[in-house]
Amino acid sequence: MRTKQKYLIRYKDGNLYCELADVWIDPNKPVKKALITHAHFDHFTFGCEEYISTKETAILLKERVGDNIKIKTFEYGEEFKINGIKISFHPSGHILGSSQIRFIFAEEKWLISGDFKLQKDETCQQYEIVKTDYLISECTFGLPIFKWDESNKIANDISKWINNSPGKASLLFCYSLGKAQRLLREISQTNFKGTIYSHGSIYKMNNCYKELGIDIKDTIKIENKKKIDELKGSLILLPPSLSKGSYLKNFKNIQTAFASGWMSIRALRKRSGYDKGFAISDHADWDGILKAVNKSEAKNVFFHHGDSEALSKYLVEKKSINVLFFDR
Amino acid sequence: MSLKKFSELFGDLDSINSTNNKIEVLKRYFLSNEPINNSWAIYLLTGKNNKRFISGRYLKNLFSQIYEYPQWLIDTCYLKVGDSAEVITLLLKNKTTSRNKKLSNISLNELLSKTIPELSKLNEEEKNLRIKKIWETLPEDYHLIFNKILTGTFRVGVSIGLITKSISKLINIDEEIISHRLMGNFKPSIDSYDFVINKNINLEELNSKPFPFLLANNFEDKIFKNSINDFQFEWKYDGIRMQLIKRSGNVSLWTRGQELVNESFPELVDKMSYIKDDFVLDGELLVWDFKEQIAFDFSLLQKRINRKSPTRSIQIKYPIIFIAYDLLEINGRDIREIKLENRRIELEKYYSKWQNKNKNNITDIFRICDLIYPKDWSDTLTFKEKSRENNTEGLIIKNKRSPYTSGRKKGIWWKYKVDPMQLDAVLIYAKGGSGRRAGLYTDYSFALWKDQELIKFASAYSGLTNIEIKELDKWIRKNTIEKFGPVRSLKPEMVFEISFEKIQISKRHKSGIAVRFPRITKWRKDKKISDADSLENAYELMKKIS
Repeated sequence: MRTKQKYLIRYKDGNLYCELADVWIDPNKPVKKALITHAHFDHFTFGCEEYISTKETAILLKERVGDNIKIKTFEYGEEFKINGIKISFHPSGHILGSSQIRFIFAEEKWLISGDFKLQKDETCQQYEIVKTDYLISECTFGLPIFKWDESNKIANDISKWINNSPGKASLLFCYSLGKAQRLLREISQTNFKGTIYSHGSIYKMNNCYKELGIDIKDTIKIENKKKIDELKGSLILLPPSLSKGSYLKNFKNIQTAFASGWMSIRALRKRSGYDKGFAISDHADWDGILKAVNKSEAKNVFFHHGDSEALSKYLVEKKSINVLFFDR
Repeated sequence: MSLKKFSELFGDLDSINSTNNKIEVLKRYFLSNEPINNSWAIYLLTGKNNKRFISGRYLKNLFSQIYEYPQWLIDTCYLKVGDSAEVITLLLKNKTTSRNKKLSNISLNELLSKTIPELSKLNEEEKNLRIKKIWETLPEDYHLIFNKILTGTFRVGVSIGLITKSISKLINIDEEIISHRLMGNFKPSIDSYDFVINKNINLEELNSKPFPFLLANNFEDKIFKNSINDFQFEWKYDGIRMQLIKRSGNVSLWTRGQELVNESFPELVDKMSYIKDDFVLDGELLVWDFKEQIAFDFSLLQKRINRKSPTRSIQIKYPIIFIAYDLLEINGRDIREIKLENRRIELEKYYSKWQNKNKNNITDIFRICDLIYPKDWSDTLTFKEKSRENNTEGLIIKNKRSPYTSGRKKGIWWKYKVDPMQLDAVLIYAKGGSGRRAGLYTDYSFALWKDQELIKFASAYSGLTNIEIKELDKWIRKNTIEKFGPVRSLKPEMVFEISFEKIQISKRHKSGIAVRFPRITKWRKDKKISDADSLENAYELMKKIS
C-alpha cells in the first residue's frame, strides 16, 4: 500500500504541504504561504507571511487575533492559481467560513476535507459534495459508535434540562466559535424562552456571525459579579477552558453540561466532571465520513486527525476504495 | 407503565451528582409507579440482579453476525467504551429499521419477569432471533437498559444507603427499619414492595433478617485525646464479616453483602442449632489454623466461600471458625441500644453458658474474640505492629459506650490498620481500563529487578489521581514498545511506590511471590529505574515478617 510515488500533497514536519505550489495547509508553525480551512485555533498559527482563506474565515480570524495579519480571501468555488496549480475553497459545513480545499494539477484532483460535517447547521454553509481523485479526510469520530442525533433533538434535550431546574443557572460549556452559535440558533427554536448569557469570548464570535448575516439570538455578556438571583433559570454559554479552576466560584446553585461529540460515551461523560453531556458535534460521524468518502468518488483516500486505524482497515476490507498512508 | 420512566430515572441518576437531588428523583419515581415496577426498580438499583443471562462476548458476536460488522471493529469500539452492553447500544442506533415499536409500552416487570427470563428457555438459534426481534421492536432509548440487564451489568451511581434513605423519606420511617427490610434476598413482587413501604413496623416479619452492620471508620489521631479506658480493643481479622442468627430455632448466616450463606458453611449452622438460646451475633468467619491458633490466609477462605454444600473432606481441609465480636439480640430481646461494654458482659456470659451446657464442644467452630489491653496509646502501636504475627490486619478500636447503630457512623468504631509494606517497582505493562476508565490506560503491571532483568511482580489499578492517570496515559501512548491486543509493553522508565498488605510465596507467579491488595501510593518521578527494588528485597521483606 505504501508507495514511493511522489504525491501532490504530502506530510512534511507534521503538516500537509503541497510542494509544487509551496503552500501549507493549516500549518502549526510559521511558513511563507498558509491555506487556512477554518478559524479554529488548532488550525492556525501566528507568524506566516501570507494567509489565504475564505472571506468569513478571514473576518473571524482577524476578530480573534487582530488585524495585523496579511490575509488574501476568495469566494467559495472561486478558482485561483499558485505556480500553475488550480486551487479552490468549498463549504465543509463545519463552522461559518470553513472549507474543503481542492487542488487540480495536470488533470489530477486532490481534496482536503478540512474539518467537516454533513449534518444540517443553519449557522454555516452546507457541506458541498466535491468530486476528486485523491481525498485527504479527517476522521475525528472514525468509529461506528459515533452516530449523531438530529441537532434539534439535542436542543430540545438541552431546553428540557434547563427548564427542569428553574431554580438554577444552567452552565453550558461549548467551543466559543461555531458550536456556541449553532447551539444558540437551535435552542432559540425550542421551548426554552429564558435569558441567555454568553462569555466574552463567545459574545465576540456571536457578533461576528451576526455581521456576516447569520440570524442568531441576542445574548447578554456575562459579568463576573452578576447577582445570583438574576441567573436563576437562565442559560449561560461558556468556553470549556473555564470549567476547571476558580471561575465557577462566581456562581452559586448551578448545573453544568458539556456539548461535544465525545459525550455520547458514558465513561467519558462521567469522567468529564460535568453534570450532563450533550452529544452534538461539528465533525462528521461514522456514517458521515463514509458517505463523504463515497460521494467524493475518490479512488484513493488518506485519513488524518483521530483514530484512522479502524476506519482504514474497515475500508480496506470492504475493498471499496484504496486507502493510502502518508510517510511521516 | 412503560419502561420509559425507568429509563428516564436511569438517565437522571446517572447525571445528577447531588445526593439530595438523587433522593428527590427516586421519591418521585416511587410515587408515580406501580408497586410491582417499583419493586423491580429497587431490585435493579440495589444491585441485587447479578444474574448474567448472556455474556458480553456473546452479545457482541450476535450483533456482528446479524448486522455484518467485523468482530475486530466491535472490539476496537469496546476499547473506547469499556462496556459491551453500551457498545452494542451505540452500534444499534439507527440500525433497527423496523417501524413496529411493539415493545414501546413494555413494563419493567414484563421485561424482567417474562421477556428476559424466557430467553434462557430457548435454544441458541431461537434465542438469537428473539434478541434481534427485541432490539428491533424496543424503542432505542431502552436499548441500554435491556442490554445491561441481559449481560448482568446494570449499575448506576446509587448506593443501597441512598435507596434506603429515599424510601425512608417517602414513608417517614427510620432508615434502620427500611435498611432491615431491604436486607437479604429481596424477591421483587407486589408483596415485597408493600412490605418495604409498610408504615406499620412488624417485628415478626423481620425475624430471619440480619441487622444492618455497624462499620468501622479509618483511624483518626484525635482519639489520642481520650482516655484509653474508654475503649475496647480487638484484633482486626481478615475474614468475612457476618451475622450469625438463631431465631425460633432456625440458624441463618448472613454476610455483610447481604447474602445468606448457610449452604456454604453447613457445619457451623449445624453446631449452632444445638444451642438452646436464640441470638444474633456479629462476628467474622475465618479458616482457622488450630495448631498455631491463628487465622489462615484469606486465600484459603476463598476456597470455601463460593462452594455450596462442601464435602466432608473440604470441611476438614479448610476448617472454619466463627469469632463473635458482639451480641445484638438475645432470646428475642434487641440489645443494640445498650452500651458495648454491657453487651460484652452478656456475650461472655452466654459464651461460657453455651460452652458448659453443650455436650459437643462448640469451641472448635465458635468462639468470642479475645480483647487486647494496651496500657496506653503508645502501647496500641506495639500491638498493632504485632498483628502481622497473628495474621490480622491491625486493631479495631471501639468506644465502650457505643450502641450498635448501622452504617459507618463517625466516632464509634475505628480500624487501626498496620502500615502497608512497600516496594519501588518499574512500570512495564499497561492495559486499557473498562467502565468509567474506558479509553484510558489504567491497569498497570510492575516489575522488580532480578539480576539485570525486570520480573513482573504485581498489578495495580488504583492509587493515582485522575490528573496523574491522564498524564500517565499520555506517556504510555508515547512510550509503547509493543501492542498485544489491549496490552502495551512499555519502555522501562517510570518508578512507582507500590503498597500491599501481605507477601507470600507463590508458585504460580514467575516472580515466586504474591502480594495482597497491591496499590500505587506514589509516582516516584524522582527515581530512576536503577533505584527500583529487587526481588531479593521482596524476599527479605517476607522473611522479616515470618
